Parts: sequence; C-alpha cells; structure tokens
Amino acid sequence: MGGLALAAPWLLLALAALPALWWLLRVTPPAARRVRFPALRLLMGLQPREETAARTPWWLLALRLSIAALLIVGLADPVVNPPERLHGDGPLVLVIDTGWPAGATWGDTRAAARRWLDRAARSGKRVVVLPTARAAPDTPPGASRALDPAAARERVNALEPHPWPAELAAVREAVDALDFDGAATAVWLSDGVDAAGSRELAVALQRLGGLTVHRPAPTRRAKLLAPPDTGDPSFTVTLHRAGTGAPETVPVVARGADGRPVSTARARFAPDAATARATFDLPLALRNRVRRVAVRDAGTAGGITVLDPRWRRQRVGIAAARDAGRPLISAPYYLERAVRPFAQTRRAPLDELLDATPDVLILPDAGRLPADQRERLRAHIRDGGVAIRFAGPDLAAALAERENGQGKGLFPVPLRGGGRNMGGAMTWDDPARIAAFPDSGSLAGLTPPADVRVRKQVLARPGPAVSERTWARLGDGTPLVTGAREGDGWLVLVHTAADASWSDLPLSGTFVRILRRVSQLGAGTAERGGGTLPPHRLLDGFGELVPPYGAARALPTDADPPPLGPAHPPGLYGRGGGTHAHNLAPAVAAPEPLDDLPDGVTVAGLDGRDARHLGPWLIAAALALWLLDALAAMALRGALPRAGAAVLALGLVTLGAAPAPAQDTTAFAQKAAEATRLGYVETGVANVDRTARRGLAALSRTLARRTSVEPAEPMGVRLGRDPVVVFPMLYWPISRRQGALSEDAAAALRRFLDSGGTLVIDLREAAPGALGGDSPSARALRRLTRAVSIPPLVPVDSEHVLTKTFYLLQSFPGRTTGGRVWVEDTERTGSEVASVIIGANDWAGAWARDDSGEPLHAVTPGGSRQRELAYRVGVNLVMYALTGTYKADQVHVGAILERLEQ
Amino acid sequence: MTPTPRQRAERAGAGLPPLLLAAERVAAGVAPGVHGRRRVGSGETFWQYREYAAGDPASTIDWRRSARGDRLFVRQTEWEAAQCVWLWRDASPSMAWRSSETPPLKRERAEVLLLALASLLIRGGERVALFGTGARPSADRNTLPRLAALLDGSSGEAADLPPPRPVARHAQTVFVGDFLTNPEATLARMRTFAGQGVRGHLIQVLDPAEWELPYRGRVRFEGTEDEGAWLAPRAEGLRPAYRARIAEHTEALRAAARRVGWGFTRHRTDRPATAALLTVYHALSAARGRA
Repeated sequence: MGGLALAAPWLLLALAALPALWWLLRVTPPAARRVRFPALRLLMGLQPREETAARTPWWLLALRLSIAALLIVGLADPVVNPPERLHGDGPLVLVIDTGWPAGATWGDTRAAARRWLDRAARSGKRVVVLPTARAAPDTPPGASRALDPAAARERVNALEPHPWPAELAAVREAVDALDFDGAATAVWLSDGVDAAGSRELAVALQRLGGLTVHRPAPTRRAKLLAPPDTGDPSFTVTLHRAGTGAPETVPVVARGADGRPVSTARARFAPDAATARATFDLPLALRNRVRRVAVRDAGTAGGITVLDPRWRRQRVGIAAARDAGRPLISAPYYLERAVRPFAQTRRAPLDELLDATPDVLILPDAGRLPADQRERLRAHIRDGGVAIRFAGPDLAAALAERENGQGKGLFPVPLRGGGRNMGGAMTWDDPARIAAFPDSGSLAGLTPPADVRVRKQVLARPGPAVSERTWARLGDGTPLVTGAREGDGWLVLVHTAADASWSDLPLSGTFVRILRRVSQLGAGTAERGGGTLPPHRLLDGFGELVPPYGAARALPTDADPPPLGPAHPPGLYGRGGGTHAHNLAPAVAAPEPLDDLPDGVTVAGLDGRDARHLGPWLIAAALALWLLDALAAMALRGALPRAGAAVLALGLVTLGAAPAPAQDTTAFAQKAAEATRLGYVETGVANVDRTARRGLAALSRTLARRTSVEPAEPMGVRLGRDPVVVFPMLYWPISRRQGALSEDAAAALRRFLDSGGTLVIDLREAAPGALGGDSPSARALRRLTRAVSIPPLVPVDSEHVLTKTFYLLQSFPGRTTGGRVWVEDTERTGSEVASVIIGANDWAGAWARDDSGEPLHAVTPGGSRQRELAYRVGVNLVMYALTGTYKADQVHVGAILERLEQ
Repeated sequence: MTPTPRQRAERAGAGLPPLLLAAERVAAGVAPGVHGRRRVGSGETFWQYREYAAGDPASTIDWRRSARGDRLFVRQTEWEAAQCVWLWRDASPSMAWRSSETPPLKRERAEVLLLALASLLIRGGERVALFGTGARPSADRNTLPRLAALLDGSSGEAADLPPPRPVARHAQTVFVGDFLTNPEATLARMRTFAGQGVRGHLIQVLDPAEWELPYRGRVRFEGTEDEGAWLAPRAEGLRPAYRARIAEHTEALRAAARRVGWGFTRHRTDRPATAALLTVYHALSAARGRA
C-alpha cells in the first residue's frame, strides 16, 4: 500500500470555476463602513494623495481563491496510503486471535483488522469475522454471517481479548462449515503464539483461498509468567516467552493488595532460552504483602500471576526448649527441616510462642499441658491459629495416666490411653504402611508413600466423628492424622512421633507435604474439600484485576481446578479473607512461537500504514483561512482594533516572565538548614552587620576548636524575608539606625521565639542599667521590639545555668564590661529554656577577627583575658541555646558530692 | 453614579482662584461689586490719601490723617465694580457627537466648561447670564443651579452661532462651540457683537477624531446636520489633507478673533476640562493685564 488517491476525483472539475470566482472577486470592492462625522464640511472635496484601492487587493484575492481551491480538493477527499483492492470474488474471512496472548498486541491487531476492512470496503466485499476464543461458556467460537464492511467493523470493534486460551479446533470446524461461492481471501491476525490445532486451521483457511497470517514481532508476543514455587524459600517467578533468539530483559513488578509496587526484579532471557527467572529479594514481612506479580506493561492475563495465601511464608512456631539434648535427631530438628522450605520457623517454649501468635504452632510430643497453657492454646486456635500436635513417649505416658483420671485433653479426636506398638519383638503386627489419603480431608490428593512404616502410634477412641476427622490412615484403618475445626482455627494431631523413633514418616517427603498442607489451613486459604468459591477479583484480557464479569461462575474446590474459560477466568476466588488464586500459568502450556505454517501462506507483521484521509484537514485549513479572510476584511475597513494585536503581543511577552523570590527563600532555608549555623539579624547598618558576621564566624571557629559543636559559616538574616526558624540561635545587635520592623519581620521573630529559638540581643552599650533606662540603645530596642512580645526578664545571677553551660563564668564581658545580662524569667514564663537573652557588652565586637585572625576591635578596659572571657561567654550562650538546661543539674553537684562523702 | 454636569463643572473650577475679569472701559452706573479696579472710585477699600484740592467735598477729608500734619488730606477709596458676562454654547446636533466611548460628547464638555467658568465668575463677584435666554445677569447663590437647569432645558435650538441679539455695552461674552461653519460667518457674527463694544472669547471644542481623522479603509462619512455623505475609498489617504484643512480652519478662526480683539481657545474633548479652563483663565487674565 502507498501513494495517493482521490475518493471523489470528479469533484476536481469544480476547480475550473476558479477563474470565474477570481473575476467576480476582483470587481467587487469591500463594503464601506458608515461613520457619522460632524466635520464633514471640511472633509468634502478632499482628494486622497494616492490612488484608491477600489478593487480587492491581490493578496486578498489569492487568499479567497486558495480557500475555494482547498474546499474543492478537500471535498474530493484525497487519501494517502489508499487501501488496495481485494482480488477474488469470495468474501474476506478474518480470523482474529482473542485468546490470552492477544492482549499484548491488541491495538496493532485491531489496526490491522481495520486496514483489511478498509480494503474489503473498497472492493465491496462481505466479511466473515471469526474470533478464536469463546466469549460465553457454552458457545464455542464460531463464524459470523457474511457482513458488510461497516457491520464487520462494528463487530471487530466489539471484540476484545479474553484471559483464557483460544480454541483453534472449534474455529477450524467453523471454517470448514463456511459456505460461499468463489475464492475467499483468508486473513489470520495471530497473536504469534502457537496453540493446539494452529496448523490444521491454517490449512483449512488456505483451502478457502489465499491465506495471509499477520503475527507480531517476537519481542512483542505475549509472555507467560508462572507463579513462584510455594515451597521455594526464595521468591522466584518464571517467565516463558514464545520463541528464542535474542537476549531480552523484562522487568517484573511485585505488587501488594492495594496495587502498589512492593519490589521490582528483572528476568533476563539468554539468547537461546525460552524461560527466564526473576528473583525478588524481599524480607519476609514485605514478601507476605505481595499479592500479585506482573510483567511491566504486559497487557495480557499471562503476564500477571495472582498469589493467594499459599504463597505466604508462614511463621511456624515449634514448641520446644531451645537446647534439646540431642540436637540432630530430636523432633524439633526434623520439624524445622521440614518446615523451613515454606515457612519461617521459631523454636521457643510454648508460653513464648503463644505470646508471638505464630500462624502455625507445632507441639512435638507435648505431654500433659498445664491447664492455663491449654486454655491459652485453645483460645489461640479459636482465633484462627493452627496447632499441630505430635504423639510421642510423653504424650503416651500422659494418656496412660489419664486413663485412670478420665481427664480431657486438647485433641481433635478422643484418644485411648497408651499407644500401640507394631513390628516390635513383642508384637504380632508388622509395621503399618500409610493408606491412600481420604478424599474428604485436608490432605486429599497427596500420594501415599510406599516406603514409610509406622511402628508406634496413639489410637483414637472409636466414635462417630473419628472417621470424618481422619485425614490420613494407616493400612489397617487406624487414624494417622486427625484434624478438627476449633473456632476459626484447626487442631491437628499426628498420631505418631515427630522424630524417627516411632516411624519413618519424619524421614520422608510426605512429612513435608503433610506439614505444608496443614500449615496452609491457618493462613486464610479457602477451605478445600467441598463447596465452591465465588469469583472475587478476575483478570481481564489485558491482565487487569477487575470485579467479576461475564459468566464467571464459582470455582469448585473439591477437584482439580477446572479448565480456564469464560466460566472460570483466571483471578482470585473466594470470599472474605480466604482467597484462592486461579492462574493461567500452570494451566496453559508455556507459549511456543507460531512457526509451523503450511507452505504458500503469506506471513506478515502486524504493522502497516493506515489509510489517511486528507480531506478533513484541507477543509479545516480552508476554514482557518476563511477566518483569516474575515479578519483581513475587517482590517481593510478599519474596524480591526489595533489594540488587539498589541494585547496579543503583550501576552506572549509576559509568558516568558516567571516569579523568582519563592525559589530564593527555599534556597536560603536549604542552605541554612543543611548544617548547624549561627545566625544574626541584619540591621541594614553596614559596620554593625560586618562586626556581627565576623564575630559569629570567629565564635564558630572557637566552638569548633573547643567543643563538639562545629557550626558552619554564620548567615545573616533579613527579618521578614528569610526563614529564621532553622537557626538555633539568632544574634541581634541593636543599632539606633535600624529601621522599624515590618509586620512580616515582627511575625517572623514571634514565630522564631515560639518555636524554641534563642534570641540573643546585644545593646552594644555598656551603660549600667541600660535596659530599663533611657539610653539610646534601650530606646532603639523598645522601638524595634514593639510588635514582638518579649517575655518578662530577670538579671542573670551567679546561679543561672548560663554561668555554667560550658565554662564557669562570673561575669559576661564583651568589648566592654559592666553591662548586665538579662534573660527570660523561666520561672514566671514556665518555659524550659530562656528564649530571650539581652546583653549590653557588644560581644560580637570582642569576638570579631579579620581574615588574618587579628581582633577587629579593641576591648576596654582591655587585656587578652577579657577577650578570652568574651569567647567563653559566646561558647556558653551557644551551649545554652543548643542544650538547654541539662547543665542545671550542676547546681546540685555540691550537695551530691557532699552526700557521697558521707 | 455619574456626576451631573454641574458637579463636574464645579469640580473642574475648584482648583482655580476666583477669576477676576479686567474691564477696560466700564461705564459709570455699573452695579458695585467686589471687583477692585485699581483706580480711584466709589468703593469701600482704602486706596490712597491725596492732598486736598479745591473742589473736593469737605466730607471726604480724612481728619485723623490731616491732624498729623499741617495740610489737609482727602481719603480716596478704590473703585469697585462688577462685570456682566454673557455665556453661550453651541447646542446644534453636531455637538451631540463623540467618536468613541472614551471622550465625552462635545456638547457635554462645552456645558461643563461653561458652568465651570460661570462658577468661577460668580465666586469672583461677576454677574453671569446665559446668552439668548433673556435671563438677567445675576451673581447670587442660585445663579449656578439656574444656569444648569437652563442648559438642560434648552437643547432644542440648532444654531451654529450665537444669535445677533443686542448685549449691554462693555459686557463680556464667552462663546463655546465647535465653530465648524465657515470662519467668515463666525467673523461676521463676532463683528456685530464687537460693534456694540462687547469683548468676547471663543472656545472651540473638538473631538479628537475631528482633529486626527483616525479612520482607515473604505469609509462612508455622513454628516450630523443633513449635510449629505462623502465616500472615502481610503480614509487614511485623506488624513494629511484633512489635518492641514482643520488646522487652517482653526487658524482662520484665531485670526478672525484677533481681528475683533477677542480671545480664542481650542480644546479637545480627550483632554481634561481643567486645561481648557486654565487657558481661558490665562486669556482673560492677559486681557486684565492689558488694562
């Protein structure tokens, strides 16, 4: 297919009328606008300077002619890649795969079907549509009547892939039953996966006329995902592909009950391998949350496998002391080895296990249980736990004892006192074999092992319930495994010991299988044996879990799973928590490529170029040009507001602008928060800010050198613009020249104090009583903090924590001495740490050093001792801001020491 | 709520000091007002002392001043007189027009100017009257509302120029209109007034479109007063010629006004009314300065 064709070529004749249109347009000038104008007298008789355009301008003429031409050509409906005609006089027989692999390439399949229908429509042929999978339980796939192409198109659009296999044999019968004259064109839109009877179908189709098989490229064919082996400790899924040849890596996603991904693994196909495995490395808690595993973007029911509780690794508790005497031949050892493949085990005394509430509780040879333990165990079982008891010498002894006392034990069936020996020196019986497992019990379907001999057992007291509660028997009919429902859980008794002393059973594989089967009882697995499971969530043809649809029926549980089909689509069955997974993977064979086709069949891919109709686009273009023409006509009459164009241009320009300040703030907060930093309030007075920055930088270096606090470079904060809450301590030098705080700035300070920040205010003026007095700094402070609620203050006394957070200090000198330090009165405000500290000694001035490490300002009265003390004040301040009052305990150290001495 | 023309007029005039008209030649017998004539005359404000001359009435001697010296002094007061100002605006259909939604109607703007001027004059103590209504000039508090009412009521007349009625000698006139008629006719009419010794001022109110001719393309212009129609195939081609013509027209009007010694002001409705008011104020002040 290719090229260009016209659907209605005769319409092009209308193009001949274009010259007439041209002439008409040329002589008709545009209509005049009417305007009332008072100064008409002045206007009358004026001659324009240039020649009037009494005729339509040439470009408008060209525009209108092209509109007409576009319309005519558009109506003639040119088609790119026009569909070819079909040969032969019979109908088109369209076989479309709708089995489970079809979902992977359904879009292409449908497009290919559409292309064939286009060809049929162009050739005027009827179409027989044949889906290959059944849509309803009782109607095998069959052929439609010979439909006209439009009806066939509807029919094809209504088709959808199903999550069950195709039935090619039934399709072949339908093909054989077709009856028409002449040679048909047969087309099979295959999913590329071989199925039983595909060659026969191809032969039958070929007999109708020529057969063309479309199949997708090998990498796009559906893959089949097999669920992990329930016994496999690792969580590994197997992926099958149709055909080999190229290496391929397929991502596989494990999802939880809510559909969220839990983990992702990759299945890598070696070039010659048709299967690949993907292992999920998951902790048990996560692994138990996996409810389905799916190939990413598989699009088929084969690409997803749903899991039921059988795949959950259970927690199995084995009630036994941790240090058994003979670890390698004791019962707990056998049990651990048997259970480990499918569950996580834990060995502990019964009391501890009951606290941990494992899914399954195994009691190997527990004799008489204390009454309280028995009741706890019973309650545990009633709440849904499974308890598996094993017989043994202790149990036998307890039974013998009880024979006299007539006590009642916790057993599924009443037991007789004492045990039974077979095959011993003193017995006549041979050791017994295990008989076939009864069909009604939970162990139904297991194969009885031929080589297992049971030499000793405890016996059930005959009664009406015993038979139905017996899940496994010995050859002589005595029960070997009995189980009974207790509340929501199960109580199971194995009538022989869990070690090899009474029987060979613990040495056989049957032991493992019995334990696994029984363990699954406790995990919400839908009850086996009788009854049916209603559909819960089903897979559709595209591998999506959807509510039950169509003719889905309940899944019988007593026999092998029924074949997949409309009655039993794959998915989850069961009600409530107990679900049963019905998957494609074990039921259908691993996919094989569809290669075995008879000679003479045309094989093609699914891709192809669709016929594209240009007509609507041409007509749309004509419409757009017509709009343009209307605008041009308005412009010619002067009616087009020039402002419109300006607004448009303005809008385009403003699109480029973008807000930036928010980003700025975030960047600041990020930078400030990435390390512990000291912050200072930028006053806007250059030398004060510089001193504060250098002072805090020097203090930060001192802190890093002397303490475990290692602050990063200090940062200046513009109150109200930058976020301050990220700083533990904010230093604020008061300057008379600082402008009043804005509303935002005051709010930021309030937030800072409320969120536990420490604000250190430095009046930088060593006047005694500077705070309360009328000094310029105090006035400035009052002016600046008018909108901030400063808590009540007290002067720092010699007992205050500030004097001992790191260094022991008597005074708080800075560049000057003598100024008092005031702190929030924490006794009155009730806060742990003072949020406001007000000093007056210009601490930052004493701290500040230049780049070469020399002090920036002289201190008065002077001396290196004073500067050193100033740094100690700074260290104490920062320590106080960071650690709070924990050093307050030091207050009591004297008393403690005194007490110690006594 | 849109303000009434009167409100707008008072608002426009609020920023200016009371407008004092200069009178060149004022006949005796004009009603006295607060208008100082900067010359000796009858009034209440002290003007100057003059040495007694024979013939002065004895009652004019200021005895208190004379007692301070040997000679006798006569106390003279400044001559104060009120002026009559006759106002007129063009109410023809051509004034009830605007080119777009933005500028006001030309007539609206003319009335605003008129009332603003009247408001200023009354505050200056002048007496005003609407020309052609027959009302007597007055300067009391009710004059302005009455003027506004008269303006509202007299929309029927369609004269392009003020009717040639006799006006009291030495009165002032202010004529507001578009004066799109022949400048010769306007000059002739002004002459009839000037012949009576009346001074005046013309304010030409034009819409911006009448000034710019902003139209494009094929336009059929229709008159507002049954002048007919004119089809312009390309209006933008007419623009330079039209602009030259309207400028010429305005210049002719200005020249005509100058010939009779009147003032002339041009005003566009897209400019604030205050601007025109200021211009007229300056023109009238200039006239005073010449006095």
